[in-house]
Amino acid sequence: MNEEHFLEFDEYLQGEMNAGDKLAFEQRMKEEPELKMAFETYKELHQHLENKFGHADERKAFKENLKKISKEHHKKHKSKVIKFKPWYYVAAASVAVLFGLLFFNYNQDPVFEDYNHPEQAFFTERGGADANLKLAETAYNGKKYSEAIPLFETILKTDKSAEIQYFYGVSLLEVNRFTDAEAVFTALKSGNSIYKNKAIWSLALSKLKQKDYKSCKELLLTIPEDYEGNDQVDALLDELD
Amino acid sequence: MNQISHHPDQVYIDGLANNDSEVIHAIYKKFVPKVVGYIKNNSGDEDKAQDVVQEVLILLFDQAKAKKLQLTCPFDAYFFLLCKRKWLNELKKHSNKGVTIDKELTSIDGSVDEMVLQSEHFDEKQQLYDMMFQKLGEKCQELLKLSFALPSMEEVAEKLMVTYGYVRKKKSLCIGQLTQWIQENNRFKSIKNT
Repeated sequence: MNEEHFLEFDEYLQGEMNAGDKLAFEQRMKEEPELKMAFETYKELHQHLENKFGHADERKAFKENLKKISKEHHKKHKSKVIKFKPWYYVAAASVAVLFGLLFFNYNQDPVFEDYNHPEQAFFTERGGADANLKLAETAYNGKKYSEAIPLFETILKTDKSAEIQYFYGVSLLEVNRFTDAEAVFTALKSGNSIYKNKAIWSLALSKLKQKDYKSCKELLLTIPEDYEGNDQVDALLDELD
Repeated sequence: MNQISHHPDQVYIDGLANNDSEVIHAIYKKFVPKVVGYIKNNSGDEDKAQDVVQEVLILLFDQAKAKKLQLTCPFDAYFFLLCKRKWLNELKKHSNKGVTIDKELTSIDGSVDEMVLQSEHFDEKQQLYDMMFQKLGEKCQELLKLSFALPSMEEVAEKLMVTYGYVRKKKSLCIGQLTQWIQENNRFKSIKNT
């Protein structure tokens, strides 16, 4: 297709062709499938742009309205869950104080266990996954990390994806193989996968488990604000201070 | 499309297209809780569920505005399946790159599946078109935006301080450029279900 064609398409769409030209153009489309295909694409793009820019203001208004309504329902939903009566506050507060008295002094430093929430693995959702993946997933999700580790090692020979590396690293960390785990996480940290920030978090957890609070904090501070587990990061930072 | 074949639930689609707050509230009240429940039970949380819901509603708005959304099945099932598949897709995107969800559908009603596929296809196309648009030069982008936002090409010419003939020609060449890219792209990997 060349410039002439596109000018012609536009004229046709705007209804600016005279009857003779229009008939001739329609005839050519019947005879040249390639011309027809190009025209159809052109027409669709035209519609798309018209829809996109012609309703830009309406679309913006709709999105804002949607956000507002979504928030209202969101809030209603949340407030339903925490409809406390004042009486419960008193009770809850006394229980909290009691617990605080019992445990506070014993545990001034944050502990690994409080922050150790390994996520579930879903390798086999990909479909057609091989047997090792399935086994590794089951072992890992069942917290049988020492069983999962050799399986991950086999898988990593053929599939070096960040996902597998990450779950391998988490397994190593769970069984206290710190040096190995940290090597895996450090590699992920310098990569660009979606596991990059999770890897930094895991490195920090590894330091926490080894009670190296200073390195833990330094690592936490390098995790960007938009990391999905940021409340955990903030909570741990608070505890470390 | 035929007026008679419309499902009575078309009111939800029309309501979205008209940004009718009452209809949107009704959708949130009647249909959204089920979606949120599903997503929370499948490795998601309330916030993520709200994002998926909003994305789907915006898609429906776009599709309705393009006059390409005539509901032939209950809104409930259609909306739920769209959200569910979007969420599964999201999960897969984060656990393994480059995998799209299989086209297997889970609803029992054939017309629901068909509606869902239509919307997903519309979504894919929109994304492709937007991506290609971003590839255009700044001049083309600006001119096209104005061409469709302003009521006449005379006004576009005036605004850009060029002649009418120039904007007319440039507009069709810019869309022509997009046409070529899309065709090359389609030859590469044909979008399904055309």
